[in-house]
Amino acid sequence: MKFGIFFELSVPRPFAGDIEKQVLDHALEQARLADELGFDWVWAVEHHFLEEYSHCSAPELVLTAVAMQTQRIRVGHGAVVCVPEMNHPIRVAERAATLDILSNGRLELGTARSSTWTELGGFGANPDDTKKSWDEYVRALPKLWAPGHTRWQGRSFQMPERSVLPKPLQQPHPPLWVTVTSPGTELDAADRGIGCLGVAAAGYAEQERRTREYHHRIQSCDPVSSVVNDQVTTLNFLYCHEDPKQAAAAGMQMVGMFGVANSHLLWTREAFPTRAYQSLANLAPTGSSGGGNPADPYGIPEGICVGDPKRISEAIRRWESIGVDGINFILNGMEILSQPAVLESLRLFAHEVLPQFRKDAPARAGARA
Amino acid sequence: MITGSARVEDLLTARPRVAGFGAGPVTLPNAEVLQAMFEMPVSAREAVVPPGLHPTNPALCVMLVWRCPESPWGPFSLAQVRAQTRSGLRPRGFVVGAVCDNPAAADALATDFGFPARPGEVLLRRAYDAAWLEVGASGHTILALEGMDPEPLLPLDVYYSVTLNLAETPRGPRLLQVEPEYAVARAERLRPRLLSFHPEGWGDRHLDPYFAVSASLTNATIVIPRMRFVCRPDVLSFQGTEKAE
Repeated sequence: MKFGIFFELSVPRPFAGDIEKQVLDHALEQARLADELGFDWVWAVEHHFLEEYSHCSAPELVLTAVAMQTQRIRVGHGAVVCVPEMNHPIRVAERAATLDILSNGRLELGTARSSTWTELGGFGANPDDTKKSWDEYVRALPKLWAPGHTRWQGRSFQMPERSVLPKPLQQPHPPLWVTVTSPGTELDAADRGIGCLGVAAAGYAEQERRTREYHHRIQSCDPVSSVVNDQVTTLNFLYCHEDPKQAAAAGMQMVGMFGVANSHLLWTREAFPTRAYQSLANLAPTGSSGGGNPADPYGIPEGICVGDPKRISEAIRRWESIGVDGINFILNGMEILSQPAVLESLRLFAHEVLPQFRKDAPARAGARA
Repeated sequence: MITGSARVEDLLTARPRVAGFGAGPVTLPNAEVLQAMFEMPVSAREAVVPPGLHPTNPALCVMLVWRCPESPWGPFSLAQVRAQTRSGLRPRGFVVGAVCDNPAAADALATDFGFPARPGEVLLRRAYDAAWLEVGASGHTILALEGMDPEPLLPLDVYYSVTLNLAETPRGPRLLQVEPEYAVARAERLRPRLLSFHPEGWGDRHLDPYFAVSASLTNATIVIPRMRFVCRPDVLSFQGTEKAE
């Protein structure tokens, strides 16, 4: 089992003073500590215009800073929005290869298509087309990274023969992922031989079903490149504290605030009727929308990694048992938790929980030939 | 989290008085439903909704029209102008103003369900290449728009938010949660263009639908069920939600 930290970079109102700098500074400090403690990944989302929820519009810069300040932890674009109005595919390939070199071959590249009208409308993108452009990008990127010259004649872009530079350090290229929000995207990931970067609500039963279908389907995939990334990750929260009561009180406040902010996003389907967005694609991990859990003494929803080390270990064991390869943790939301509390939570997790899941396992790139 | 800043007392001007929450269900077969969405500037975002609701980012102005050939009150058309919001975690359409062309229907929709329906003219015309809407009240056109280039969609592709109507009730001012169910038989998406809009005609000068997002036109049977919940308009729904019964 691998563990990552996942940056949304949520910023509480009022947006006064240096609050955005403070959030970024905190994130970098968390990344440095996660690196020291043996976490496997640090991911940063790409979102635009999502006031409070996420001010992480330039993840390639955030991750470059992370790469420069860390030694071992892998840096994950979680994920690049594969919509031409936001990111031209050649620029995606160039930036990713540069970051792979600067990080000494530590890049993971997630791909996505955006779920909100706020973002797509802001860039003038047509929601009907995002699934198509995503698919084209996923096929194109391995070719743009390949040695020598290439050409592309597609729907989203055309390029006469050129050598896209630089080439990534990892060969043949950094592991590819797709963020999974809408049900069924895990099958798209499997068909293309790319990893399943879970970022949406899925409880144990739903995640088990999705993971099983993904692993079954990927056996007969038509991969977009010569390597297959067959990993499945889920998104979770982390607040680990020796006192379960305090863990629940503080941790669930953070979880609840994230859920509220998430529910206030203006989903594409809500504003723009289209066949391309069949659900509201709520991104909040299970339980973050409240409702509690009567089976838990503190009402913490199933699977959420909030509590004392024992409770969190049990939850992770369950995730592990259903075939999940990794868990990415949101460590804070709207700065509800103090930075010392976040860092202490990371340390306690790394000391008490993480070693239980590390029988064999230094981080690997995750690609199989 | 941003919340509405409109004063509830101001919003209550020209709002209906509802005697209870027991009306419904009402079935409206074979209706045509036009929904057009426009972004509003940030200056309007908080100003048009009460403190109990959260506006969306960006602020979204929704024009929702029902043309109902059959109803308990005879044929009628109802045009609503709404601000898209969140009540707690849930998407909700806060009705800012409404116009109805059938006095009996207007009265029933107001007193039973809290729609702030004033008398007027609602004309929805549909062709193969476009649709047109014109809404008039007090002798003035207060909304005119066209939707061009219909493209077929599947019935489930169109999303309608639950309605919140502010009304005086025996419990005081309340947001009535009206949850029409739409059984859509045919759906199209259109490119909307606003031809005329007068915010004062809809009861709020802050309304400013300046950027076209989308429009849809469906054939649907609408059922307005009995209300399940009402909310206080002055506090967030976590504290202010009440069962209707």
